[in-house]
Amino acid sequence: VNTYYAANLLIYAGVDIIACLALNLQFGVSGIVNFSFIVFQSAGAYAAAVLSMPPDTANGGFQTYIGGYQMPFPIPWIAAAAAGGLLAIPVGLVVLRKLRSDYQAIALLVLSVIANSVITNAVPFLNGAAGLAVVPQPLQDQINPATETYQYVYVALTAVCVVLAFALVARIVNSPYGRTLRAMRDRELAATAIGKNPVRLKMTVFIVGGILAGLSGGILVGFITTWAPSEWLYPETIILFAAVIVGGRGNNLGALLGALLVPVGFEEVTRLMVRLNIGPPGLIPALEWVAIGLLIIGFLWFRPQGVRPEPRHVFEGAPLMEES
Amino acid sequence: VSIYEAAFGFGLVSMSVIAIAAVGFTMQFGITNMINLAYGEVMICSAYVAYYLNRAGFSIWIGMLAGALFGAVFSFLLNRVLYAPFQRKGTSYLGMVIVALAVSLMMANLLLPLVGYFPVSYAENQGRLIQWGGIALTIDQIAIVGIAVVVMLLIHGLLKYTRLGKAMRATSANPTLARNCGIPTQRVIDAVWLITGALCGLAGVVAALNSDSFAVAAGAGYLITILAAAVLGGAGQPYGAMIGAVLIGMITELSAAAWSPNYKEVVAFSILVLVMVLRPQGLLAKRGALAAAG
Repeated sequence: VNTYYAANLLIYAGVDIIACLALNLQFGVSGIVNFSFIVFQSAGAYAAAVLSMPPDTANGGFQTYIGGYQMPFPIPWIAAAAAGGLLAIPVGLVVLRKLRSDYQAIALLVLSVIANSVITNAVPFLNGAAGLAVVPQPLQDQINPATETYQYVYVALTAVCVVLAFALVARIVNSPYGRTLRAMRDRELAATAIGKNPVRLKMTVFIVGGILAGLSGGILVGFITTWAPSEWLYPETIILFAAVIVGGRGNNLGALLGALLVPVGFEEVTRLMVRLNIGPPGLIPALEWVAIGLLIIGFLWFRPQGVRPEPRHVFEGAPLMEES
Repeated sequence: VSIYEAAFGFGLVSMSVIAIAAVGFTMQFGITNMINLAYGEVMICSAYVAYYLNRAGFSIWIGMLAGALFGAVFSFLLNRVLYAPFQRKGTSYLGMVIVALAVSLMMANLLLPLVGYFPVSYAENQGRLIQWGGIALTIDQIAIVGIAVVVMLLIHGLLKYTRLGKAMRATSANPTLARNCGIPTQRVIDAVWLITGALCGLAGVVAALNSDSFAVAAGAGYLITILAAAVLGGAGQPYGAMIGAVLIGMITELSAAAWSPNYKEVVAFSILVLVMVLRPQGLLAKRGALAAAG
């Protein structure tokens, strides 16, 4: 197997795994239907890009953007995570208050569409629809990005982030705090009655998820070196939802599996299909979106718990009770 | 100043389009408890039905009727085949929202290969320009305003003075109690999907007629404006949606004149956020957004 192809595949897989773990924490474990998830990933990507790029006058001014600080490697990734987390604060404050949960979902969906249209139209901010290009790659001054060594290094860096992200969400999900989150998801009123503050819980999860989403965006933009509004249209969030639903809501390993099956799987199928050259251009991508929709509806109907269902958490000493 | 007078005229047309769409959307939500996120895509499909009839030589008014018919039948089937079985299965509100979003995504992407990416427009002589002060509207635009007024009056009459309307309001308020009182709620809900589907289809054709051209991608934009109007008025409240449509239609057109037409949807969204922060139940609703999701 070609090293570049393998590295590409592994890095996309890593990015999608981090994103799916974050979405699973929000949607699977806590019941927040974050339809603007991709906006947080995008915030991370833009933050990493404008921090690592030179000032916009440098490349003959063919693109305009804010920032341009030429920061060295770890800073853009850290800033990407911070940007996702920071963006979650105002959004969470507006959306996660005492709104009905389906209202929260549509508010976030609308936010996703609008954020994209604002960035597209406000050209001087992040170069509008054309997006940012020639984003410097991490450590490119130390190692030549065109070498195989660089591919290994990037895969390794991504892998470290995946492991850290997995450890973080596993820690949260398996702790008493995770139990509180599941209680809130299953019966918010009851959780409130025993003194849990659902707004604060949701806010925390929203920020943690935003941080991971931002980090995944930072990793992605450092590898593909471009970022534009067409990369983060709202249907991209739906792919991640499909991944979490297929993999198993509330199960971290399920989210990981879903990330490998759905986003990575579809990416590979596209590559294959394009090579086979079937039908008019644009037909295959369109049909893939239809397949994603069918996947979601099919799983919600036939196997709503996903491939790897959430483990039942039972206290050992408790008397056996039938599940209601 | 005359730019604002012109914008006022466009606002009248805009609010008419939004009112037809938002009343249908909000009735679906209020009576069947379904946030139908595929609404914008059904509008676009109906607009294309009218487009192909129009291209085959029929007048746009025939196309409008066909679009409304398509919307009614399609929405009815969508509920019967997909939404209602999921609801009977006990899928949560959130699950239903995800199902609806998946439907919307599938519709848009099934439509794309069929009709293509390029914007199209109706082959329709827009008619004479009628001037009244600084307001200049085409005959078609005035017809749109007329249609909206007639539709709103019909909806008012339906809800207020017919047995079906009464049954709808009862079903909306408490479906279990309504069923126990002998109201055939299943048939009422079927009727709701037919009527609101017709409104949706009509709104799609009217919206397409009012714009220079339209493409599949317009569906998401329609949905946002409709959501803003429906939430502003108090979700599930037909009269609230009418008020919301008037406000959103006028404010977006005036802001387009004062600022930039690129930001129409952003303005609609800002209003939506303000409502959610300041008065999440909307202008008219007693509970609305604040009621706990079951």
